[in-house]
Amino acid sequence: MRHRDELVSLVRLDDVTKSVTLADDSTLEILRGISLEVSSGDHVSIVGRSGSGKSTLLNILGMLDAPTTGTVAFEGAEVGRMRSGRLDRLRGNNVGFVFQQFNLLPGRTALDNVMMPLGHAKGRLFWNRRQIAADMLERVGLGHRVEQIADRLSGGEQQRVAIARALVRRPVLILADEPTGALDIDTGASVMGLLDEVATETDAALVTITHDLHVAARARRHYRLDAGRLETADLSRAFEASTLAASVPSSLSAATTGAEEASS
Amino acid sequence: MTGILGALADAWAEIRVHRLRVLLSLIGIAVSVAALTAVFAFSEYQRQYQTEQSDRSGGRAATLVVSEMNIDGSPVDVDAFDERVTAASERFAFSHTARVVQGLAVPVALSDGIVDVYARLYDPVYPQIHREQLLDGRWFTDSDVEALAPPAIITEALWDRIGRVPLAQHPTLALAGPAGGTYQVVGVTPRQTYMDESLGVDLLFDAYRSRVDALPEGAQVQFEVWVPQGMVEEIAPVLAMDLRAGLPEGQTITVNRSDWAAQPGNLNAMATFEMVVGGIAAVILALGALSLINIQLVAMRQRVREIGVRRAFGATSGRVFVSVLLESLVATTVAGMIGIAIVIAILRSDWVVTSMFSGIQDVPPFPMRAAVIGLIASVAVGAVAGFIPALVALRVKVIDAIRF
Repeated sequence: MRHRDELVSLVRLDDVTKSVTLADDSTLEILRGISLEVSSGDHVSIVGRSGSGKSTLLNILGMLDAPTTGTVAFEGAEVGRMRSGRLDRLRGNNVGFVFQQFNLLPGRTALDNVMMPLGHAKGRLFWNRRQIAADMLERVGLGHRVEQIADRLSGGEQQRVAIARALVRRPVLILADEPTGALDIDTGASVMGLLDEVATETDAALVTITHDLHVAARARRHYRLDAGRLETADLSRAFEASTLAASVPSSLSAATTGAEEASS
Repeated sequence: MTGILGALADAWAEIRVHRLRVLLSLIGIAVSVAALTAVFAFSEYQRQYQTEQSDRSGGRAATLVVSEMNIDGSPVDVDAFDERVTAASERFAFSHTARVVQGLAVPVALSDGIVDVYARLYDPVYPQIHREQLLDGRWFTDSDVEALAPPAIITEALWDRIGRVPLAQHPTLALAGPAGGTYQVVGVTPRQTYMDESLGVDLLFDAYRSRVDALPEGAQVQFEVWVPQGMVEEIAPVLAMDLRAGLPEGQTITVNRSDWAAQPGNLNAMATFEMVVGGIAAVILALGALSLINIQLVAMRQRVREIGVRRAFGATSGRVFVSVLLESLVATTVAGMIGIAIVIAILRSDWVVTSMFSGIQDVPPFPMRAAVIGLIASVAVGAVAGFIPALVALRVKVIDAIRF
């Protein structure tokens, strides 16, 4: 087990830029000169407006996308040099994703969905995948919904299935992209509570991308992404200006809410 | 190991979830595999049927026909010929040798007077060589030669003329002419083809010969010898040489094969039939495969997101490729097996085969060759139909697919 006071670097971005060529041959810079280090057990939030490059950054953190320049290292190994098969396995072993639109496999049961990542594992994880997945669903409070078709569950339940799926292989890095974006405030709060809890339990690093300050406030380190540049954010002022303090869970009592201003 | 098992499990789950889509696309495959299998099975039955039919006329493979003639066209001394061939037959230790005389007409007393009836004379082993079949009663046996009332086997047409008296009541036939007398009807041959409509009677060669001074003019005796097919090439020339040795001047003996296997034309016709009908089935199969590719490609557009999610959770591109390929492969294999099973079920019922090939005696077991060809075809179609969608799946970019 890794301890919080001796943080080990999990993902390290050095001077990463990402640009794409548009149809008219012009270049669009999405990310500029981003350096970020995420260590195990870390809770990081990144806020930013739509189109500020949050998802691209998360893709690069999750090794789904490669930067145009700069380097990405996972546990010290440079990702850019790995062959795609090895990268896929590395991602499968170490990274769990939670998406805004849940992205559950349609038509499959909750259990099938949670089993899916284990189907790409080896050994005990593969052979016991049904039991492990069932235990994980139990852990997120869906033990009674195991055989339900995933897309017929409520939004909150679907996101809990997605969380169970993201965590079932005990990843060291959890990447959540607007995890509460499709949920109402209360459901979102309880889902975030669960995500925080399970991440802390397994000592996994949690990187959350959001434009919801309530969600952002749960992290220990806060960043703001603006026009492709990453800056440390001080959210306290935003919270002070908020009028929704009451709906923020007690753990955030230090920070008053300010969702309105930040998310606009 | 776990990779392949996992891919197989994914493929099976995918098929289960999209039952309807898979079912619709596979009906065509199942039907065309069934057609293909049926074609080859039919061709096998047809071969058996043709063999049986030609066995009736020419004898089983390999039947040698030995005949003698005088160069000047004068009648042959039947008894001398008989003696000569019988002696040779003993030397060669042939197991099945029969004397045959065809084309005789014997007068038979029927209710409307004396009628000339087409007659054959042969030894008891003849029906065995020609795979002939009985409607009722029995064939001649060796002991029949001594019977005081010699036995006769009649055609169904003649049986009808004498009132279809059950054989248990021992019907008899009164022959006029040189071999006249009362013959006991011991068997009836069935109507199988239009050739069986004529009145006909089969008599034992020895029983007839002992009643006449000489065979009627024009009647030609032939010996038929049933020899192993693998040895016929060696036996025939040696036998011919042996028989010709010491023949009086002006006489000649011929030894020919009369069975179907000696005529490659039959086999060629069979192969042509198989090729034409098999080709049609293959085209149907190709159409089925095309529609399967089509459906899978359309389905792939909806599945881009799903594939992206899988990739995000550690599925390698190889794994995705194999899963998609296996989906088609597993599905068409199952469909093919269903098609084959249906064909087997239909053809296993004796009624279908015997009504399609009336008069077939030995219904061959369902030909494994047909089932194997059907199975190979369905696996091949699955591989081809799965390959293209799998290539598409391979090109799915994870980030495009997920679109946070």
